[in-house]
Amino acid sequence: MEDPFMAETFWLSKEAFLKIAEVSGLDTTDRHMEELYSFVQQMLPGLKDVEELDLTGMEPFMPPLSAKGGSK
Amino acid sequence: MNSTEICYLSARPLGQLIQRKEVSPVEVIAAHLSRIESLEPKLNSFITLLPDQAMAAARQAEKEIREGRYRGPLHGIPLGLKDLYYTEGIRTTSGSKIFDAFVPNFDSTVAAKLKEAGALLIGKLNMHPLAYGPTGENGEYGDMHNPWNPALIAGGSSGGCGSAAASGECTLTMGSDTGGSIRIPSALCGLVGFKPTYGRLSRNGLTPLAWSQDHVGPIVRTVEDCALVMNAVAGYDPSDPTSINLPVPDYTRSLTGEIRGVRVGVPKEYFDVLIDSEVKESVLKAIDRLGELGAVISEVSWPMYRYCTAISSAIQMGEATAYHSHLIRTHGSGIYPPVRLRLEAGFFVSASDYVQAQRARSLFYRESLDLLKKVDLLAGPTVPVTAFEIGRTRVNVGNKTAGAIGLLTQYTRPFNLNGFPAITVPCGFSDAGLPIGLQLAGRPLEEETVLRTADAYERSTDWHHRRPPV
Repeated sequence: MEDPFMAETFWLSKEAFLKIAEVSGLDTTDRHMEELYSFVQQMLPGLKDVEELDLTGMEPFMPPLSAKGGSK
Repeated sequence: MNSTEICYLSARPLGQLIQRKEVSPVEVIAAHLSRIESLEPKLNSFITLLPDQAMAAARQAEKEIREGRYRGPLHGIPLGLKDLYYTEGIRTTSGSKIFDAFVPNFDSTVAAKLKEAGALLIGKLNMHPLAYGPTGENGEYGDMHNPWNPALIAGGSSGGCGSAAASGECTLTMGSDTGGSIRIPSALCGLVGFKPTYGRLSRNGLTPLAWSQDHVGPIVRTVEDCALVMNAVAGYDPSDPTSINLPVPDYTRSLTGEIRGVRVGVPKEYFDVLIDSEVKESVLKAIDRLGELGAVISEVSWPMYRYCTAISSAIQMGEATAYHSHLIRTHGSGIYPPVRLRLEAGFFVSASDYVQAQRARSLFYRESLDLLKKVDLLAGPTVPVTAFEIGRTRVNVGNKTAGAIGLLTQYTRPFNLNGFPAITVPCGFSDAGLPIGLQLAGRPLEEETVLRTADAYERSTDWHHRRPPV
């Protein structure tokens, strides 16, 4: 399996990256933005592996045992 | 008994000596404080040491026991808490200088329960900043060092727990685990680390990393000590919305040494990923040992295992960044840079990515339950490598290299996703003298099967008796 922390696929334009950073409240003039851009480029493609799965009928996970009086 | 022997006794025999008044809690704390003083320059296990408070509590414990008010097997036993457990009146930094002066006004539920059981808090333990990293490196309070070789990582994020418990600085330590942060330092430091079922132990009063994957649990030197701690801290807590409201057994009663007929599955996918040859050999030998003890070993398939890192990363990044979003915006430059990077990257995980990952998690949970209808436990490595040099972001495995974070968490993350109980026990040493861990995981709320099997294995080996050279 490809290591998502070191994937080589580039998918996000610099312009889009800066826009998301700005609306997220990050300081886009900060010198470390280049490092963040590179990190995001390397890491996020790995998360897209989930798209290979057939999630038909699946709802988001809820801890099944945690409700008050939850049963096994 | 000399002070080093006191420091390396596990909680059960130490508690028996205390109960019989053959050793005083004051003597126990004095021995540990002395050991901490000599080892801390090498290990850096603690962020906050509490010598006066611990000694005062030890005197109180001594008085109570003398007067016939013995509280139980943890009374008078030294305890260290990862520095994200809120402790009333004692600073709780979460491993970040940003919180250097933060003093909670209440105890986390687990800290309160351990105090009630008579455990003596000796200090707050070092950790990867904000619990966001598996190496135990901390550029602010200093890196944690592995007692088996201080040039190497202790593992994380509960690295101070690992180094303190392995070196005899603490009898009991408590960590937290979002992607492996109890089990990774335990495996790399030669300890027993237990992550119970999600909801079995209260998360109330712990700094979150990712709510839906955060777990609480002990890092200690024996399985029996795990069971003793579980008896003290497990149970329903209305302050934790994910707490399970079901009766808690006496976990020590499960430690029968008998595992005949227990069905142990070994996912074949565990060996399709990068793994060090010495680790693989030790783990397979340990699984063979389980077979010799009467367990029924079989190979199983866990197809969704390969998706765990992607699923859990999306969820963890989304939740961690949401929790720390204000901190990132207001104190970004004050956050330990590698952690800042991961936190800020979470802003680029979309809502759709997060929800899709949670849907995939449902599928993974269902597959995990189905798998554990065929077997009672899953067995495999805890970490695919032994401890490596502090500062490395890439690790060599055979003739390949891999990112340290993904590598360290590849076997532990699945059980944060499904919330199933998982333990690591020492199962060997590399040629370089570094510990290797065996991970056993069971069905939700079947902690007893996990503990019983781990204990039976531990009884049949002497790995847990080895002491680091530090």
